[in-house]
Amino acid sequence: MEFQKEIEIHAPKEKVWNFIWDVDQFIACVPGCKEAKTLEEGKRYSATMVEKVGPFRVEFPTTIEVLEREDLTRIKAQASGADNKVGSRMKIGLDVHLREQDNKTMLSFVASVDILGKLAALGHGIIKRKADQVLDEFAQSVKKRLEGDS
Amino acid sequence: MLRRFRLEEPESVREVSELLGRFGESAKVYAGGTELLLAMKEGLVQYERLINIKRVSGLDEVKLENGAIKIGALCTHHQLELSPVLRQNLPALVKLEENVANVRVRQVGTLGGNLCFAEPHADPGTFLMAVGATLIAEKSASKREIAAERFFVDAYETCLEADEVLTGIKVPVPAPRSGVAYLKFGYLERPSVGVAVALTLNGGGKSVGDIKIAVGCAGPAPKRVEEAEALLKGKSTDEATQNLPKAGSVAGAAAQAISDLHGSQEYKEHIVGVLLKRAFQSALSQC
Repeated sequence: MEFQKEIEIHAPKEKVWNFIWDVDQFIACVPGCKEAKTLEEGKRYSATMVEKVGPFRVEFPTTIEVLEREDLTRIKAQASGADNKVGSRMKIGLDVHLREQDNKTMLSFVASVDILGKLAALGHGIIKRKADQVLDEFAQSVKKRLEGDS
Repeated sequence: MLRRFRLEEPESVREVSELLGRFGESAKVYAGGTELLLAMKEGLVQYERLINIKRVSGLDEVKLENGAIKIGALCTHHQLELSPVLRQNLPALVKLEENVANVRVRQVGTLGGNLCFAEPHADPGTFLMAVGATLIAEKSASKREIAAERFFVDAYETCLEADEVLTGIKVPVPAPRSGVAYLKFGYLERPSVGVAVALTLNGGGKSVGDIKIAVGCAGPAPKRVEEAEALLKGKSTDEATQNLPKAGSVAGAAAQAISDLHGSQEYKEHIVGVLLKRAFQSALSQC
């Protein structure tokens, strides 16, 4: 599943860039994400993703790896995790771009999400919709936090 | 493999509600189990306790009561297929029930279980919205009626409170000169799109007096589409027929169709329009 989003943020690029690298602030914007830890500054992080669709609940202990980084411009990362209780795995490839436009920052990201295992029995449509909701909430939360204290 | 769980077997709605209140998310009502047990066997959900409500008496009858058809939540789909009350007063529901899933599911699956599990690809919710049904929810000391269109919150989610039990469904007996049709489209037992139309004619049978339209299966939850109804309500039958393509596209957009292996969003929206046209004509022909 591929997702694309672009957020217009009324804040300078440096501020947005620093926000992305502030693990606690950033993780607070990801719905269902908790227990974030830095394993290796700028390279490896861990967190637990908890998501719920009706009575179905998954908990993915996740490792996030930064694959490429161009300061103030781009981050390429990969996240993967498994819920052994439910018997499902999740893999997310993330490409984040920043560009400045009329005193604003355009933060765009492309995410490719793969869900494998029993959770897939819920159906592609329901999972895609849930992922869409999570990304929308994340985008709004990032915008609110960055613009709220500018 | 099904993991171990404790089976509670209460004999009254009050006891069921108390158990739900006491054990919260670790317990689940078991009414037929055709969907719940599959999900449990797959390990997608785990409950420490199942509350078998099939020992509660009086929840498996279909009867006429104060001008309405009252269906007990524990009626199986098969019971509804055979119900003389439904055959006489609401044959469209009998037809729907005859086509729910397969014979094994219809023998044990209950209407209440189907509604409460809120699986998006289920037929009854859409139908009940179109016929103006209300759902009766009870708990220890109270009882409330919920309009079918407000019952479903999202995929697999209803507005029932944690300790509430769905005990019955009330459907008004259709007025004279009215028709009801539910049509679905899908692959094998899994409907991808479902459309229900219930209409009543007035003006000597020349205009659409009242109409309710609901769409389901395409999106996360069934939905009543009042915007589409407004394009047909009060119109002459000819004018309403001419407005069907527009009503179809409004209903298609309202369905919140999700692209999946069974069809793209656009394809499902188109099918909603096709089924709406056919269901309208079928309902009209019954008037």
